[in-house]
Amino acid sequence: MAETRTSQHSDEILLDMRGISKSYPGVQALEDADFSVRRGEIHGLVGKNGAGKSTLMGVLMGIREADSGTIAIEGETLRHASPQTMLDAGISYVPQHINLLNTLTVAENILVGNLPKNRFGLVDWKAVNEDSQARLSRLGLKLDVRQLVEGLSVAERTMLAIAKALFNNARLIILDEPTAALTRVDIDLLFSFVRAQQQQGVAFIYISHHLEEVFEICDRVTVMRDGRIVGTRAIDEIDVPGLVHMMVGGGVKEYERDSTAGREVVFEASNLSRRGAYEDVNFALRQGEVVGISGLQGSGVDELAQGLFGLERLGVGEVYVGGDAYRPDSPKAAFEAGVAYLPQDRHRYGLIQLRSVRENVTYSVLDRLVGRLGVLLRKDEHELTEEYIDKLGIVTPGPEQRTLLLSGGNQQKVVFAKLAATQPTVLILHEPTQGVDVQAKVDIFNIINDLSTQGVATMIISSEVRELIGLCDRIFVMCGGRITREFSRAADDMKPEDILLAIEGGPLDADA
Amino acid sequence: MKRAEPNRLVSLMVDNLIWLFVIGAFIAFSLLSDRFLSPYNLGNILLRSAAFGMLVLSQAYTFITGNFDLSVESTLGLAAMFAALMLVTTEAGGLGWQLHPLLVILLMLVLGGFIGLFNGVLITKVGVNNLLVTIAMLFVLRGATYGISPGTSISFFPKEFTWLGGGTLARIVTDNGNFVLSVAGIFVILAFLVGHIHTRYTQFGRNMYAVGADADAARAAGINVDRVVIIVYIIAGVCAAFAGLLQAGRLNAATPTMGANLIFAVHGAAIIGGMSIYGGRGNIIGAFGGVLLWSILDTGLNIMGVSPFWIDVSRGLLLLFAVLLDALRVRYQHNVQVRLALADTTVGLDDKDQDYG
Amino acid sequence: MQMPNRHDLLEFLSRHFIWVVLVFTVVVFGLTINGYLGIANIANILITGSVLGVMVIGQSLCLMARKLDLSAEGTVSLVAVVAAWLMLPYRETDLAQAGGLGVELDPLIVIPLILALGAVIGFANGFMIMKLNMNFFIVTLAMQLVLRGLALAISEGAIMPGTPAAFNWLGGGRVAGIPVSVLATVGLYLVFGFVMSRMQFGRKVYAVGANEDAARASGFSPARTVILVYTASGFLAALAGWMLLGRLETSVPNLGIGLTLNVVAAAVIGGVSLKGGEGSIIGAFAGVLFLAMVNNALNLMNVDPLWVNAVRGLIILVALIIDAQKSRYRGPGGSSTPTRTVAGDNGRSGSRDARHPERLQTPAAE
Repeated sequence: MAETRTSQHSDEILLDMRGISKSYPGVQALEDADFSVRRGEIHGLVGKNGAGKSTLMGVLMGIREADSGTIAIEGETLRHASPQTMLDAGISYVPQHINLLNTLTVAENILVGNLPKNRFGLVDWKAVNEDSQARLSRLGLKLDVRQLVEGLSVAERTMLAIAKALFNNARLIILDEPTAALTRVDIDLLFSFVRAQQQQGVAFIYISHHLEEVFEICDRVTVMRDGRIVGTRAIDEIDVPGLVHMMVGGGVKEYERDSTAGREVVFEASNLSRRGAYEDVNFALRQGEVVGISGLQGSGVDELAQGLFGLERLGVGEVYVGGDAYRPDSPKAAFEAGVAYLPQDRHRYGLIQLRSVRENVTYSVLDRLVGRLGVLLRKDEHELTEEYIDKLGIVTPGPEQRTLLLSGGNQQKVVFAKLAATQPTVLILHEPTQGVDVQAKVDIFNIINDLSTQGVATMIISSEVRELIGLCDRIFVMCGGRITREFSRAADDMKPEDILLAIEGGPLDADA
Repeated sequence: MKRAEPNRLVSLMVDNLIWLFVIGAFIAFSLLSDRFLSPYNLGNILLRSAAFGMLVLSQAYTFITGNFDLSVESTLGLAAMFAALMLVTTEAGGLGWQLHPLLVILLMLVLGGFIGLFNGVLITKVGVNNLLVTIAMLFVLRGATYGISPGTSISFFPKEFTWLGGGTLARIVTDNGNFVLSVAGIFVILAFLVGHIHTRYTQFGRNMYAVGADADAARAAGINVDRVVIIVYIIAGVCAAFAGLLQAGRLNAATPTMGANLIFAVHGAAIIGGMSIYGGRGNIIGAFGGVLLWSILDTGLNIMGVSPFWIDVSRGLLLLFAVLLDALRVRYQHNVQVRLALADTTVGLDDKDQDYG
Repeated sequence: MQMPNRHDLLEFLSRHFIWVVLVFTVVVFGLTINGYLGIANIANILITGSVLGVMVIGQSLCLMARKLDLSAEGTVSLVAVVAAWLMLPYRETDLAQAGGLGVELDPLIVIPLILALGAVIGFANGFMIMKLNMNFFIVTLAMQLVLRGLALAISEGAIMPGTPAAFNWLGGGRVAGIPVSVLATVGLYLVFGFVMSRMQFGRKVYAVGANEDAARASGFSPARTVILVYTASGFLAALAGWMLLGRLETSVPNLGIGLTLNVVAAAVIGGVSLKGGEGSIIGAFAGVLFLAMVNNALNLMNVDPLWVNAVRGLIILVALIIDAQKSRYRGPGGSSTPTRTVAGDNGRSGSRDARHPERLQTPAAE
């Protein structure tokens, strides 16, 4: 798996970050981190969500100020780190969602703000196109510069963004999850472009959850965990299990609950397939059971979750809820069938931030709260809201508080309250602990436990494997659109290393 | 690798929809009425919508940056009224200053520029919503126009002034009547040409597009977004003031209602000309097509003896049709992208249901 | 837990800013203008404010759903012309005066007819916007051109005087000395205030306006809600047209022209946000009162009527600048980033889809 490659990088240190620490109120985001990148190398940076990768990169880009530590570029220590000084020092960032001028041509995007002029001071479009085409071909990038950027594929946009950075004399480019939305063909295209630039002496920091790709493209890899650097390894000195071990560490389980699974199967799917997303998905959840599903972006797990709630097409195959055929064509139908869904993107799908806690809690159950002529029953509404504020421990000045003023954890609890109020048979949770603090996490685990004690079958889609192990009776792993492995508490095989390996597409289990 | 390659002919037609409309309307009216193609009429098409054209130009500028300025119709009225007051004698309703027409024209353009500056500063620096600021300005300026007007219309302008809006450059005599090359028509064509060169061939013009395409990305590229927007509003104000001078010159009169309620028709012309209220799209030449289409409809229906009141109806229906086509185009492109994305995958081939609508 | 403090007080004041302004206005005008608070004058304020008031309700609904209805004034024109056309006897059109179609329908038939016409126009707007994915700004703009054109074409640009008394009752009649139009407007505000704050429909409108995706995920159908909103807006515009025609007793071409801008201004001054999901019907009412009172005061102060528009515009401008400071104070967590919001995201769909291909899959039909 770990292929050895000769690459052109020298041993000269380009970037040297020493003793970087950064704390936020209540969180030590970075602790004494040392991180260095050599000239002309592709350096992988891996770690779970919240391991401190983005904080470290924020410090490097000058967006965040470190509490202590130094940054040196080519041996020269930077006194002051602002976004501009970092850009001037040749450090560029290519985000996952790239900001380009979509309605304009590739050529204009490359030369924006400084277009070549003829002797009358007018823009010379021939020169614009030729100049930009020449620049691109110097980088070996084949793009029609007359094309509008909105017509480019994601891979082409990423390459264009990298090219733009290079034209601005970038020496070190940070790639943040560049392959998340790419097909294999596009990934190959992108990688060969990145390698070509590497040959020219450009260094890359490659942030990714896809460990396979890290092994494919990186020369060295640094692992972060809980705000610390665990270690840096040359890529041929380590393999995927070794890397996974570094990422997971040997810490104790954070939370553990006892199984509340009953006998009766309440949520069942057979041969579920959707073109381009997943295929042949089968599962059966029993009453009160908690089942985790984990998979990388692109494994089909996100589409499955949204499809099961009617936010996207579900494809072909059969699903049953409580024995009845279930085919949601809208979230409304899903709620009515007893399926509730906690979306991953809380701000986009979960919460209506401008509105109050009371309104958010009761949105999905308004049908039950109306009296004659569609008039809402105020008293019932208030009682329901107070009940859930109480039950879930939502910290708010009152039910009329706008939810946008609540903390992340409390916002998530409001969304939970909205779902719980529908008294679902099946609860689908998509990354329920993302962006919430430690205390709120424990609260949320308790809520999940309470609900499953009452018989709700819960499906948790999460990349937080350790949390899943503490919560779930079984864990499915999805890879390439299929459920490739099943781990269970009963079989006592829920080992974080094994699960992470399976997520990365590791050895297939024969009986999966 | 495979590229999204939507039918080239289709996309070419969609991109130049306005010219299809213009040519179609032109041919239709030529067939429907023999008087439409007369030299007199052709010369008239642009003259009649000269002021309208300048307003469309002003909106084309603001649209490119993703803004709009509803107040231009009132700027038109104010500039016309103010100019009239300064030009004519007290007997004719003016202030009796009888300033030199050239000075008046210059003053009015400066006035328009100041109005634009005010709008632009409020929008960029104070952060007031652009729709509301310009609505408020629309009231203020219209009110001021009424306020300074003597209550009646003002006329009897000096010849030098009316030359601009109503003058004739050349007259070509034919058997069918005279083809009149009007000053105003030439000015409008010139203004659009200059506008085209400015937005297409200067750094500032391209910065306008960058701001409209993505203000954040433009900022990241070192463009001073606020400055661009303010200047664009100033240009819009100057165009609107110029429109007022053209209108007053053509009618040889200024009334306080001049330009009132024109703004939505102006927006319609710019939009059907391919401009987008979201910025970064369309071009000045297309906007000129919008002006042409509007005035062809105007003249054509007029010649055919259709009640002028049907003109607005036809404009509105055309605009609706254009938006519908645009919505269909977006959907079509979307489907092409989905199909391409799916073509690469082998996952879930069981699902034959390919309805992406 | 948050303690009540200066911040909360400011938040409270900024939320109810319009009421503070309103009280201030009443006190100032009441003290400085003789007879301002007299019964006759108050009635006058309310009568002139009633047509505006009815239209503000419809526009507020649209704004709360993060949309805009530029076609409402066109609906006013069209229904007024259609009503007069259907009710008045036929006569040759001379210079500036026209007669009806000649069918001379009874007002009791005409009234439901024009109200239905307004509702159908609104429905058409909503349908095009939500089902055909056409941009709301342009759709209602084009609709406005169509409707106004139709109104002018039917009336041939001429006035049609002498609508029947039964028809004029809403606009000009009185019950126990109180103008019917005022009663009707207040009644409508009560009804819609109740609908928006206490009924399921109102809750959905706010949800859709604040966050359409989350509203869908909460089990609502944004399309149905928005179409209903536009239908209501069209219906209310038709009602306003009826009221206005009844007051004037004469169908005038271009009736209601320029009203839209006043209506939007009143709603926004009353605290209805252009960004959707916020504001209340009662606040919008305050906005209407404010505009009506200012108009009236300018009249009484013998401000040259020609300048009234200018002063009103300035007052709106000042209110907007203060409002912009308010949202700046609230900061990024608050409700606003300025500019470019009216247009919404509707028309961006092309580039948005391209930017997030992982979201290419359309959600299942609402």
